[in-house]
Amino acid sequence: MKERFMRSVAAVATLALMTAAAPLLAAADGPNDADLMADASSTGDVLTYGMGPQAQRFSPLAKINAGNIKSMVPAFAASLGGEKQRGQEAQPLVYDGTIYVTGSYSRLFAFDAHTGEQKWRYEARLPDGIMPCCDVVNRGAAIYGDKIIFATLDARLVALNRHTGKVIWNKQIADYQAGYSATAAPLIVKGMVITGNSGGEFGIVGAVEARDVNTGELIWHRPVVEGNMGTLRGKDNGITGKLNATWEGDLYKTGGGATWLGGTYDPETNLLYFGTGNPAPWNSHLRKGDNLYTASTLAIDPETGVIKWHYQTTPHDGWDFDGVNEFIPFDATINGKPMKLGAKADRNGYFFVLDRTNGKFVSASRFVMQTTWANGYSKDGKPNVIPAGRPGLPNGTDKGGSVFSSPSFLGGKNWMPMAYSKDTGLFYIPSNDWGMDIWNEPISYKKGAAYLGAGFTIKPIAEDHIGVLRAMDPKTGKIVWEYKNKAPLWGGVLTTAGNLVFTGTPEGYLKAFDAKTGTELWKFQTGSGVVGSPVTWEQDGEQYVAVMSGWGGAVPLWGGEVAKSFKDINQGGSLWVFKLPKN
Amino acid sequence: MQDRRSFLSASIAMAALGLCPALAEAAPLAKVKAMGVLRVAIYNNNRPWSWQSDGKVIGIDADIGTALAKAMGVRVDLAELIADESADDDLRNGVWRGGLLGFQPADVMLHVPFDRAFAARNDQVAIVAPYYRESFQFACIKGEIDCNGPPAQFRGHRLAAEIDSVPDFYLMGTAGGVLAKDVTHYSTGAEAVTAITDGRADGVLASRAQIEAVLFERKPTNVARRTMPLPAFVSPGWDIGMAVKESSRTLGDAAESVLAAMVASGELKAIFARYGVTYTAALAA
Repeated sequence: MKERFMRSVAAVATLALMTAAAPLLAAADGPNDADLMADASSTGDVLTYGMGPQAQRFSPLAKINAGNIKSMVPAFAASLGGEKQRGQEAQPLVYDGTIYVTGSYSRLFAFDAHTGEQKWRYEARLPDGIMPCCDVVNRGAAIYGDKIIFATLDARLVALNRHTGKVIWNKQIADYQAGYSATAAPLIVKGMVITGNSGGEFGIVGAVEARDVNTGELIWHRPVVEGNMGTLRGKDNGITGKLNATWEGDLYKTGGGATWLGGTYDPETNLLYFGTGNPAPWNSHLRKGDNLYTASTLAIDPETGVIKWHYQTTPHDGWDFDGVNEFIPFDATINGKPMKLGAKADRNGYFFVLDRTNGKFVSASRFVMQTTWANGYSKDGKPNVIPAGRPGLPNGTDKGGSVFSSPSFLGGKNWMPMAYSKDTGLFYIPSNDWGMDIWNEPISYKKGAAYLGAGFTIKPIAEDHIGVLRAMDPKTGKIVWEYKNKAPLWGGVLTTAGNLVFTGTPEGYLKAFDAKTGTELWKFQTGSGVVGSPVTWEQDGEQYVAVMSGWGGAVPLWGGEVAKSFKDINQGGSLWVFKLPKN
Repeated sequence: MQDRRSFLSASIAMAALGLCPALAEAAPLAKVKAMGVLRVAIYNNNRPWSWQSDGKVIGIDADIGTALAKAMGVRVDLAELIADESADDDLRNGVWRGGLLGFQPADVMLHVPFDRAFAARNDQVAIVAPYYRESFQFACIKGEIDCNGPPAQFRGHRLAAEIDSVPDFYLMGTAGGVLAKDVTHYSTGAEAVTAITDGRADGVLASRAQIEAVLFERKPTNVARRTMPLPAFVSPGWDIGMAVKESSRTLGDAAESVLAAMVASGELKAIFARYGVTYTAALAA
C-alpha cells in the first residue's frame, strides 16, 4: 500500500513538472523508478522486459480479445536491414511514441510507433574474435530517464540517449576474451542496472551485479557459487554460502553457474530473483556435492547484493540443466491459505512453485512428456534422481554405453519466457518435448589438445511435435490445455485480459489462443521464424501488438533429426506491429 | 552458459554442416601468391605455441606460420583464434566458414590434431603436414614428491593442472578421487607449470611442450620429470598438423613440401629449440 501511495505521489509530481516546464525539460525526462515498477498496470507503454518487474507478461488491455482477434491485421512492419540477420529474440519496449528493439549482432533500433519509420539505430562495433555459444542474439533493452540501455555480445553495457541514439556511457562488464558475453535484457531497480553474466563453461563464475544507472559504475557484485567473495561499493561483503560445503578443492573458483538470462524483481518483498546456470566442468563425476548455488533460483537484496534465500532445482547437475529460467512472482491461495508465491519452469522439465518470501518449496510438477533423470520431487523439494539416467564417467578409452536423457540439454523450456494471467490464474509455458543420446567421445580435442568429451544427438520423442505451449495450473500442477507445434518453440509468451495468449513459432507465425481453452483463434505469417517475445500496449485509443520476426537462436546450431522440422525456414529481421482495423 | 556447451561439443561442427554458407573463400595456392599474403590461424594464449609478448605474437606455431609464408614468397598474416569448445568448432571458425562476427577464414590453420577419426568427421577441411608428436607429462619438485611413485602417494601435496583438460580429469578422478582436494586449477597448462617453478605447487600434469618451455625459461634446478607411464592414463599422445579448406588442397600440398624442407634443413628443429622444446616428429610423419 505504501509503495502504491508513493508511486502516485511521484506521478503527480512529474505531471506538475511537465506542465510547468518547457517541452525541453519534458523531453529530457523519461521513465523513473516508480514508472518502471508500475509497468504491469500502465497500458500506454511497455517499459520493462517482462511487462513489469515481476515479468508476468500480462496486460490488462482487452480491446483486442478472443471475440474480435480474428480481424487483427498488420499496422506496419519495419526491417532491421543490412546483411545481419540470424535470431531476433528481443522483446520491444514502447515509450513516448517510439518502439525500441534490440537486434542480432548487438544492434538497437528506435522506430516511430505510429508509422514504423526508423528514428535512429545504434550498431555496436564488435571485435571479430568473439565466439558466442548460441547465436548472436539479444533479448531486449531497459529504459530509464533519457537513457536506453542494453548489453552487447562483447560483454559491455551501453547507455544511449533515447532521443538520439548517442552513447551516454559504455562499460565493460566482463572480458569477452575470457569467454564472457551478454545477451539478456538489463533490469532496472532503484536507480541501479542489475545484470547477470554469461560466458563459456570454464574458468568463469556466475554473478549478479548492480551498477549506477547514470554512470554505469559498479555498486555491488555477488558471485553465485559458494566460496567466492562478494563486494559492495568496492569493499568485501562476505562470501557466498560456505567455503567448500558443496564443492571440493578449488573447483568453486571456476564453478560456472552463469546468470545469463537476467532476473526479475518483486516490489512487495523487495527481492531480486535470479536463476543460475549449470556447474562446471560438465563432467559431474569430477565435482562431488550439490555444487551450490548452480542450477538454482536465488533471492537477492537489491540494496546490498546479499543472498536472502536459494532453492536448487537440479542438485549436482550432470545433464546441463541450467537453472536460469525466470522466476515469476504471483499470489494464490494454496490449501486455503493466501500465499506470496513465485514460479519457474526449469530446463529439467519441472515447474516449480516456491514461497517467494523465504524460498520454501511448495510443489514441482512435470510439464514435459518425459523426464529420464528424475521421477518427481519429494515433499522437501529434493528430486527423486534416477541414477541410471546420469551420463557416465568418461574413461577415455571407449565410447561406453549411450545414455538416453530427456529433456535434452536444450531443456523442457529454454530461455523463452512464460506468462502468467491474473485472470485465468494459469501459467503459459513455451516448452519442448525432446531427448538426447549422450555418450563418451574418446577422440575429442580442445585447443589442439586431447580431451575427454561427450557426443550427443538430440532427437524428438513424439511423432507429431517437438514444441508445446502448455497452460499450467500452479495450484494443482495440472496441464489445463496444450497446443502442439511441429518445430521447437523458441519464442516468449504474452497473455492479456482479452482472454488471449500470444506466442510465435519457428514456422513464421505469430499465433493467438483462447487463454481458457487453448483454441487457436488467429495467426499471421511474418516471413521468418518468430523467436522473440510479443508485447501489447494502447496508443491513440487503440490496442497494438508487436513482435520480432527472425529465425535463429540456439536451435538451428544443433542438427540431427530435430533439424528436419526447421531446415527450410529462412532468416529474417523485422518488427511486426498489429491492431484491429478502424470501424 | 546460456545455451553453449562443451558438454555437447563433439558433433557440433557436423551438425552445422550445410546450414552455414562459407563467408569467404580461403585461397588456394595460386590465389595466395597473387594476393601476396598467407593468412595463418593460430590459437591465442597458447604458450609455447602462440601467445602475445609485448604486443607481438610469438611462439612455435607463430614461427612455423611465418616460415611457411616466407617459403611461399608471401607476407604472413597471423590470425589469433579464440578457442571454442572443441577443435571441431575451431576448424569451422578458423578455416571453412569463419566466425559469426566477421573472423575471416584463414588459408591455413596450425595446431590441428592429426587423427583419422577426427579428420573423418571434419570433412570440410583437409588436415595435412603433421609436424609434432605431443603427449602429457608429470613433473614434480624433487624431495616433495616421488615423481615415479603411484599417484595416490601425491596425496596432500599441491598439484597443478589446466582447468578442464585431460590432466585435470586425471588428477581429479585417479585412485577414486583421493587427489581431488589437492588440485589447483589454472587457465592454461603453461600457467600450471609456472606454479611449480614459482613454489606454488609440488607437481604438475601438463603437455610435454608446456613443461619443457617453462623449464627452459625459468631454469629451476629442483624439478624432475616422471619417466614411468601414469597408471590408467587415457591419452597415449597425439599428432599435430595443419588444416586447409577441403577445396584448397594445392595449398595443403605446398605446406607439406615446405614442412618437409624445414625438417630436412633442421629449420623446424631450430624453431622448437628456440622455445626450449625438443622437436619430436609426428608418428604419422
